[in-house]
Amino acid sequence: MTSETGFDPKLYERFPAPPRPDSEIADLKRIWTAPGGWARITAVNNNYIGLWYVGAAFLFFLLAGILALVIRVQLSAPLLGVLPQETYNQFFTMHGTLMMFLFAVPMMEAIGVLLLPQMLAARDLPFPRLSAYAFWAYFIGGLCFFMSIFAGLAPDGGWFMYPPLTSRTFSPGINADFWLLGIGFIEISAIAGAIEILVGVLKTRAPGMTLARMPMFAWAMLVFAGMIIIAFPAVILGTLLLELERALNWPFFDATRGGDPLLWQHLFWFFGHPEVYIIFLPAAGIVSMLVAQLSRIDLVGYHLVVLALLATAFISFGVWAHHMFTTGMPTLSISFFSAASMAVSVPAGIQVFAWIATLAAGKPRYNAPTLFLVGGLVIFVMGGLTGVMLAMVPFDWQVHDTHFIVAHLHYVLIGGAVFPVFAAFYYWIPSLSRRALSDRLGRIAFWLMFAGMHVAFLPMHLIGLMGMPRRVYTYLPGTGLGTVNLISTVGAFILATGIAVVLFDLARNFRHSVDEGADNPYGGGTLEWLSTGLYSTRSIPLVKSRNPLWDDPDLSRDVDQGRYFLPYSATGHRETLITSPLRAEPQYLQFMAGPSIWPLLSALFTAGFFLLLTVQAYTPAVISGVLAIPSMLRWLWDTDRPGDIGPVDVGAGVMVPTHVTGPSTHGWWAMVILLVVIFMMFLMAVFSFFFLLGIHPGFWSQPQDRWWAAIVVALYVAAAGLALFGRHLLTRATSTHWSPTTQVVFAAICAIAAYAIDWTNWRGQGIDGELSAQGAMSNAFLSLQGMLVAIVGLMAVFLALRTSRGLLTRPRSNTFDLIVMFLLYTAAQGSAVSLILRFGPGAG
Amino acid sequence: MGKWTLLLGGLTIWAAHFFLLYAFASLFPGRDLARILSLAATLPALAASAWLLWFTVRRRQPQNSDDFGRWVGNVGALGAAVAIIAILWQALPALMV
Repeated sequence: MTSETGFDPKLYERFPAPPRPDSEIADLKRIWTAPGGWARITAVNNNYIGLWYVGAAFLFFLLAGILALVIRVQLSAPLLGVLPQETYNQFFTMHGTLMMFLFAVPMMEAIGVLLLPQMLAARDLPFPRLSAYAFWAYFIGGLCFFMSIFAGLAPDGGWFMYPPLTSRTFSPGINADFWLLGIGFIEISAIAGAIEILVGVLKTRAPGMTLARMPMFAWAMLVFAGMIIIAFPAVILGTLLLELERALNWPFFDATRGGDPLLWQHLFWFFGHPEVYIIFLPAAGIVSMLVAQLSRIDLVGYHLVVLALLATAFISFGVWAHHMFTTGMPTLSISFFSAASMAVSVPAGIQVFAWIATLAAGKPRYNAPTLFLVGGLVIFVMGGLTGVMLAMVPFDWQVHDTHFIVAHLHYVLIGGAVFPVFAAFYYWIPSLSRRALSDRLGRIAFWLMFAGMHVAFLPMHLIGLMGMPRRVYTYLPGTGLGTVNLISTVGAFILATGIAVVLFDLARNFRHSVDEGADNPYGGGTLEWLSTGLYSTRSIPLVKSRNPLWDDPDLSRDVDQGRYFLPYSATGHRETLITSPLRAEPQYLQFMAGPSIWPLLSALFTAGFFLLLTVQAYTPAVISGVLAIPSMLRWLWDTDRPGDIGPVDVGAGVMVPTHVTGPSTHGWWAMVILLVVIFMMFLMAVFSFFFLLGIHPGFWSQPQDRWWAAIVVALYVAAAGLALFGRHLLTRATSTHWSPTTQVVFAAICAIAAYAIDWTNWRGQGIDGELSAQGAMSNAFLSLQGMLVAIVGLMAVFLALRTSRGLLTRPRSNTFDLIVMFLLYTAAQGSAVSLILRFGPGAG
Repeated sequence: MGKWTLLLGGLTIWAAHFFLLYAFASLFPGRDLARILSLAATLPALAASAWLLWFTVRRRQPQNSDDFGRWVGNVGALGAAVAIIAILWQALPALMV
């Protein structure tokens, strides 16, 4: 067998090792215990955070569902007055926004946080405090965002918030600001969760679980997290630009001053269409996994389904403009997008055929999760077919912005995501609860939901073809729309009744337990069905196939007896085994942070900053933002422990180090991913710059004294050089205690000086942010760069504080390495900004 | 890194080709230059995918790699094959529309 890391695969032959004493379990329990009582909110174990996360996402699903029912009541007959027009606008905007941003994406992340550690047999995901932060930020931010509807301040521009409708002129209130700041902030939480999942799937799999043996849900979550990293920066940038336009009158989307409303559509849909697959792929992963588990056979075409997931991820970034067929783009462009939109149905088709083949080849039983899977499949295929219809440009012109679109998207999302999530509930809850959910109630719920779904949304195709636009609060009598709308409303209530049955089932049977699950009623073959506690499994098994529990009937007992990896705490701290990304070979033991109030406080203060800005309470917002910084630094203080423990035995004499630096570490991977996020935001800003320049070149003028760029670039180069020199000094035993850190501090000063000169010189150009898109884009570039430079300054302070406390390890330090990486990126982006502004195509 | 390239190479070429087509159509709207450049970008994209297909098919031979290596070769080869079809498909509008 080939090795990826130099690990000797022959060591695997030592497992299963002889059983370990039961007394070691008490140690594991003590180390991994979560605080009780009110202090439970400081817990960071995935068992709690994951469950709260799922619960919160489900709560937002119910709230958004209630809004939908009121919308349907309003539309059930012509000229009803249940909702006044303004409130109706707020209701449909909140319904869409909640479902997309506060239910669908977080629910998938939540299921990932809850189940992935058990599925991969990790003690926890690599950054438990980041999971806690992501959850609290989302939950606090989401609840405050939802509350805006009770004050009549909820956003009302539709879930995609097109300007100019949402610009200050046509939406003067703070409703749109709630959306822009609230959702922009919640997306940051989604990115935090994605980093956690991406690094978790790549680095914390059980030994032997190569990419070819990974559960399909883990594959789907890997692709899902990768897509979030690429797609979400576009919408974060978009919301930032629109909020800047509203707050500071910088005309990014105002065509009279060189901006363009279509820029928003490009930025939004570059995120928005992949978003659909971001929601669909984890659900598809659930379906791929469950059809195989419930049919009791291997998934048919495993590698084809993996390819389909990857292909979907790639091509979904080439279909964003199919939401813009009616905007007058060049014919050739829309033809390319039309071709890509048709092509993207092929990977989805591959998965559907693999699922059908698995169901046909296996022996599925008539139970609730299987029904939800098959029902979801039927609904999704119907939605997919109307999707192919909509990829035809002339048909799209005909039904654009009608209820046909509403029907299509609900078929795709309910079939592609909601039904699989309910299947997941029924299938996996026995691993989290002392009692399984009732299969009988589950089947009743399924039939109500399945029937309700069709009764609600099938007629909507007709309503759309009859010409009723979406997002109108009423219609006239005599148009023939009354009966079909009434049928649709009845269907919505049948669907809601089905969901109420599930709620009743949950209330009656769900009793959370971290160590006393209701066994394995569906006979699953993957690792989450090993018996677990807060420390996950007793020992971390060696994986030799895709369904280890089916292929090795003794595995469960051997794992419980501690006959595999890490059957005890090797260091006396929370720890997990880090493995290599391709072949999952053991690399090192990672210390994990325990419970802490700081992620919660960081989330509270960051949420406070964004939400207080919304209501224009600027002083409290700034105070909250300032408080968030020490909270985060305090949380990070406990990470990157000095490596005072040498290599340890992780079972059967296999020794791994406890302190590793460089590209194999989880921190290095997380930093690289974060830099990709920042780079994507920058790339989108560059796209915006050229897009506006291409459309309205007349608003661009030539800057003066362009040679200032040379000084700025020279200072950034000096910053990069000093940072690298500091890193070099760190490895030399002859350098003094402080000298490497001093270089980084000087580097940060150089970066700050470069930025200050860039900013001052540009302000003196007279290219004002309010006057033209050139000024607005320049200010946006400089604002983004200013944030990076401020973070560099904070990092230098953090490094100095750690150095003063003797926490800087030598010859290499992860904290040092990561700060240098960030500094190098900041210097590169700063130089690029300075050059683009002064020598870019629009600069003459 | 090599395995990631094999696994994602075909799909990356497909995506890069698409973004080039979009860029040409946007930079030169309504001009034949966009079509010519699109077709010019299609040939190297096809050649690169075909080379990747040949390379990954060879890696599927038992003597060249172990189980996992062959699995990566399989997925990579399928990805390259899909890329060839997809690149042809998405370039068609440059000839037909």
